[in-house]
Amino acid sequence: MIKLENVEKSYGDHKVLRGINLEIRRGEFISITGSSGCGKSTLLNLIGGMDIPEQGRVIIDGVNISAYTDENLTLFRRIKVGFIFQFFNLLPNITVFENISMPLLLNGAENDEKVRAYIQDMGLGGKENTYPYQLSGGEQQRVAIARALIHDPEIVLADEPTGSLDSETGTMIMDIIQRLIRETRKTVVLVTHEAHIAAYAQRIVRMKDGIIFA
Amino acid sequence: MKFLKLLRMLVIRNIREEKFLTFLSIIGIALGIGLFTGVKVASDRAITSFESEIRGINPHATYEIFDRSGTDFNEQIYRDIRFIAEDSLPVIKAFGYLPALHDTIDINGIYTLKAAQFLKLFQGNKELEGGLSYKNTDWETFYRTINGILVTKRFCEKQVLKKGDSLNALMYDREYALKIVDVLDAAALPTNTVIMDIGNFQEYFEKAGYLSRIDLATDQRTADEIRKNLPPHLGVEKKEELFRNRKALVMSFRYNLQFVSLIAILVGIFLLYNTVFITVVKRRSEIGILRSLGADRKTVILMFTIQGFILGLVGSLLGIILGQFAAYFSVIAVEKTISTLYSTITISDYLITKRDAIMALVLGMFVSLIASIVPSYEASKIRPHETSREGSFEGRYRRYQKSVSVAGILCILSGLIISYLDYRNTPFAFPLLAYIGILFIIGGFTLMSPFYLSLMLRFFERPAKYLFRSMGNITLGDMKGSTYRFSVALMSVAISSALIIALLILIFSLRGSLQAWINKNITADIYIKPASCRANYCFNPMSEEVVRIVESFPEVEGVDRFRGLHLDLHGKKVIAGFADIQVKRKYLSRMYADSEYEEILKEMEGDEQVAGISEYLSIQYGLKKNDTIEFKSPAGNVAFRINDVSSSYSTTSGFVYIDRKWLNRYWGLDDTTQISVYVSKDTALNQFIPRLKERLLPEYSLEIWNNRELRDKVMDIFNTSFAITYAIEFISIMVSLIGVITALLSLVIERKREISIIRYLGASWKQIRQTLMLSAGIIGITGIILGTFLGSLMSMILIRVVNKISFGWEIHFRIPLIILVTILIIVFLTTVFAGYLPSKVARKIDPRKFVSFE
Repeated sequence: MIKLENVEKSYGDHKVLRGINLEIRRGEFISITGSSGCGKSTLLNLIGGMDIPEQGRVIIDGVNISAYTDENLTLFRRIKVGFIFQFFNLLPNITVFENISMPLLLNGAENDEKVRAYIQDMGLGGKENTYPYQLSGGEQQRVAIARALIHDPEIVLADEPTGSLDSETGTMIMDIIQRLIRETRKTVVLVTHEAHIAAYAQRIVRMKDGIIFA
Repeated sequence: MKFLKLLRMLVIRNIREEKFLTFLSIIGIALGIGLFTGVKVASDRAITSFESEIRGINPHATYEIFDRSGTDFNEQIYRDIRFIAEDSLPVIKAFGYLPALHDTIDINGIYTLKAAQFLKLFQGNKELEGGLSYKNTDWETFYRTINGILVTKRFCEKQVLKKGDSLNALMYDREYALKIVDVLDAAALPTNTVIMDIGNFQEYFEKAGYLSRIDLATDQRTADEIRKNLPPHLGVEKKEELFRNRKALVMSFRYNLQFVSLIAILVGIFLLYNTVFITVVKRRSEIGILRSLGADRKTVILMFTIQGFILGLVGSLLGIILGQFAAYFSVIAVEKTISTLYSTITISDYLITKRDAIMALVLGMFVSLIASIVPSYEASKIRPHETSREGSFEGRYRRYQKSVSVAGILCILSGLIISYLDYRNTPFAFPLLAYIGILFIIGGFTLMSPFYLSLMLRFFERPAKYLFRSMGNITLGDMKGSTYRFSVALMSVAISSALIIALLILIFSLRGSLQAWINKNITADIYIKPASCRANYCFNPMSEEVVRIVESFPEVEGVDRFRGLHLDLHGKKVIAGFADIQVKRKYLSRMYADSEYEEILKEMEGDEQVAGISEYLSIQYGLKKNDTIEFKSPAGNVAFRINDVSSSYSTTSGFVYIDRKWLNRYWGLDDTTQISVYVSKDTALNQFIPRLKERLLPEYSLEIWNNRELRDKVMDIFNTSFAITYAIEFISIMVSLIGVITALLSLVIERKREISIIRYLGASWKQIRQTLMLSAGIIGITGIILGTFLGSLMSMILIRVVNKISFGWEIHFRIPLIILVTILIIVFLTTVFAGYLPSKVARKIDPRKFVSFE
C-alpha cells in the first residue's frame, strides 16, 4: 500500500534520507526505530504528505503522491491519514468533543453519534465538554487516538505515542491502539525509541544516518 | 547581567521577531501621543498669545486700567493716574489684518520715551536683553514718519520683510499703509507685535485723545487708590486676573479636544496591551521554566513591563515628531476658531518645546506602563506546570468571567451616574465628571466584552453553521474557547465604531442646531462689517458715513445698526450685541417664521429693560428667564430682565442681546460696528451688491456679503473649527483599526502551533483563511454592535453634558443614518480585510516546525 522508492531528502546541506526503499502492505503494523536525528520524523512526514522528497517517489495505493500539489496533499491527509503525536497536539481552546470531531468537520462529514461512540470507547465518558488542559496525559492521548481514527483513515502514523506517558499508561495506550487497529485493519507506521513498544508491531524497521539498515 | 541576558532572550528577541506587530504597536502609540501633543501645543500657544496680548510690551506691568466695555477711552484720565502711579504706560492698540500676507498684526501705539523709562532700558536691565533697545533703533525716522512702525525680527523672517518695506493693513474700516522704519531684535516681544509712537498712531488712525489701556507697575494699595478715582466705566484689574479670565475661554475648547485625543491614546494602550499579552502567551512555557528555575514574580513583571516601555519609548519619540505636524495644523485651526468665536489672536509659534517633548515622553511612558502592567502581572502568575497545560490561561480567566462582567456593569452604571451628576449640578467649571464618566463607561464595556462575546457567539452559532458549515463549526468552537483573546480585537472595533458614532452624531447634531440658529439669526439680505474684523463680532466702530451711504440707496428698506461691546459680568467679559430690534422684527418673517421669537423681540423693542442671554451664561451663573442681570455702565449699574435664553453659536464667552436704545442711554454710544441690510423684495441682489461695493470700497475697507455668503462662511468656520475633531476622529479610527489588525494578527502568531495541527489534520489554506476571515467578520459585527451602544452613550454625554457645560450650546440630537451606516460598513469590511492579512501570515507557517515528532 505504501511504497518508497529511492527517496532522498535534505534540509539545507544536511542529507536526512539517503536512497530509502520501503514497502508496507495494507493492514500491516510496522515500527521504525533509530537514534535521534536518523530521519524517522522526516520519513513519517513524507508518508503523511507533509513534505515531498527531492528524489525518489512516495507511492500510496499506486499513486505517486510526491507529484501532488499542496492542495492534493492536504486532501490526501484529510481523508487517508491519521496522526498520533508524542505531545498529543490537541487544540487547547476547544473541548474534547470538538477535538475529536475536527477531522470529520474538515471533511464536511459531521457525525455526533460517531464521536460520542469513540468517546465512550476511549473511556472518556463524561469528559466531552472538558478542555485538554483539564485532562491527564493518558486521557489526552486517548483523545488524540480517537481524533486520529474518527474519519476512518487508511493510514495511521504514530510518533512516540507513549513518549510522554508513564509505562503503565503507555502500555494501556498501546493496548488501545492495537485493539483498534486489529478491529479496523489499518496500516500503521509507529516511531518509537522503546523496544517493548516497538515489539507491538508486526515488523520492525531500523534506521541509522538516513538509511534503513534492517 | 543575568537580567539583561534574560531581557535580550525573552524581550528584545521577541520585539525583533514580531516586527510587524511591534511596528503597528509603535504606530498606535505614536499617533495617540502625536495627536494629544499637537492639540496641547496649539492650545498652549493660544493661551500664550492671550498672555502676551495682555502683558503687552511691558513685562513689569502688574495692573491694567481699561474700559469695561472694551472700547477705547478718553486719555484725560492719564493725567490724574500718572501722579498716583509713576510707573504707568499709556497704550492705544488695534489689530490690523494684512491681506497680502494673510497675517494679523497687533499694533501698539506707545509713549516710547516713557516706555524706555518704564522698562528701565537706560539702566541696562538684564531681564530685557533682546527687548527694546535705544542703542540701535532709528528713533528719529520712527518719530518723524507718521505711519512708521517697528516690527520684530521674527516677523520679518516669517514674512520675508526688511527695513524700508511697506505694508497695507486693514484697520478699523479702512486700509492703511504702514512703513517699516526699523526691525527689533526683541526676543521678549510676541512675533506679530508692531510698535508705533502713540502720537503718530492717534493722528494717523484718527484716534486722537483715545487710549486702549494704561499699564501700571504698582502694588495693591496704589491700585485701590486709583480705583477710587476712576469713573464707573473704567476699571483697574490685576494682569494676572485678566489673563486668568481669558485663559478660561481657551480651556473649554482645549479640554474637549484633548479628551477626544485621549481616546486615541486609549486605543494605543489597547494595541500595546495586546502586543505584550501575546508575548506572554507565546512565552508561557519559557516563563514557566524560568519560574521553576527560581525567577521570582518581580523579575517576570519587570521583563514584560520593560517590553512595553521600550515600545512606548519608541512610540513616544515618533509621536513627538508626529506631534509637531499635528501642532502645525492644530494651531491654524485653533487660531481661526478662537479669533472667530471670541477675539483675534495670532499664534506664530507652533514648535514643540523641550518641555512639550518631555511631557509627551512621560505620557508615553505612563501609557506604556498601564498597557503592560496587566499582562506582566498575568505572566508573573504562570506556574511552572503550566508549560504543558496550554489553554489554562483562558481557563483561569473563564473562572473570573462572571465577577469581571459584574464589575463591568457597575463601571458603566457609575459612569452614567457621574455624568448625570455633572449634568445636574455642574460642580466644576469644566465637565470633568462627564469626562471621567465616559472613561468609566469605556472601562465597563471593556470588562464586559468577553461575556458579551460569549453571548453573541450563541446567536451566531446557527447562522454560521448554516452558511459556512464545518468551518463555521470550527471557527465558533475556537472563538468560544478564546473569548478573552478575541475580546481585545472586539474592543478595538467597538472603540473605533463608538468614536465614529459619537463624533458623527455630535458633528451632525451641532451642524443641525447651527443651521437652525443660522435660520433664526441670519435673516438680512446683506451684511457689512470692517474688513479688519476677523471675528463674528466687531468692537471697533465703523464710520457713520458708511451707514448713511447704505441708507441712501432706494432699494434699501431697513438697516439694523449693530454695536458689539464687551460687558463686565461678575468680573468676566461677555459680549453684548446692541441691535435695532424694531428693524430686525419687521423683516424677520421674510426668512424665518416663529411667533414666539417675534414676541420676545417685541418685548425688547418696548420700554422695559429686557435682554436675551445665551445658554452659556444661564449655566455659568444659574440665570433663567425673568431673572435680572446687571452690568456696570458709564451711567452706573444697569439691570435687565432676562426675557430669552437661547444657544449662541457665534461665541464661546457668553452673549447678551439688547435693543440699542439702551446703548445710548447707559453707555453714551450711538455708533455701529457692523450692519444688517434689508432690501425691497424685487431687488436683484446680484446687481445691487456690486453697485454697493462700487460706492463703498474705494474709500472703506469692508466685507460685504449676501445672506447666502454669510451662511456659507459660518458653516465654513464651523468646518474649520471641527477640522481638528475630524482629524482626531480619523486618527483614532485608524489606531482602532490597527488594533483590530494587530489583535487578529497576534492571534495567528500565537496560534501557529494550532494552525500547524489543523494543517496536519488536513485543513487547506483556503479553509484556514475562511476561519480567520469568519472570526474577523464576527468580531466586526459584534464590535460594531457594542460600539453602537457605547457610541450612543458617549454622544449623549458629549452633547447633553460636555458641550453644554463647556460652551452652553443646546444641541438637538440628529443621527446621520445613511452616513453612519456607510462608514460602519466600511469599518466592517476593513475588519474582514483585517482577517485576510493574518491569513497571508498563516500561509507562511511551516507546520513541521511547530509539530515536533521527537
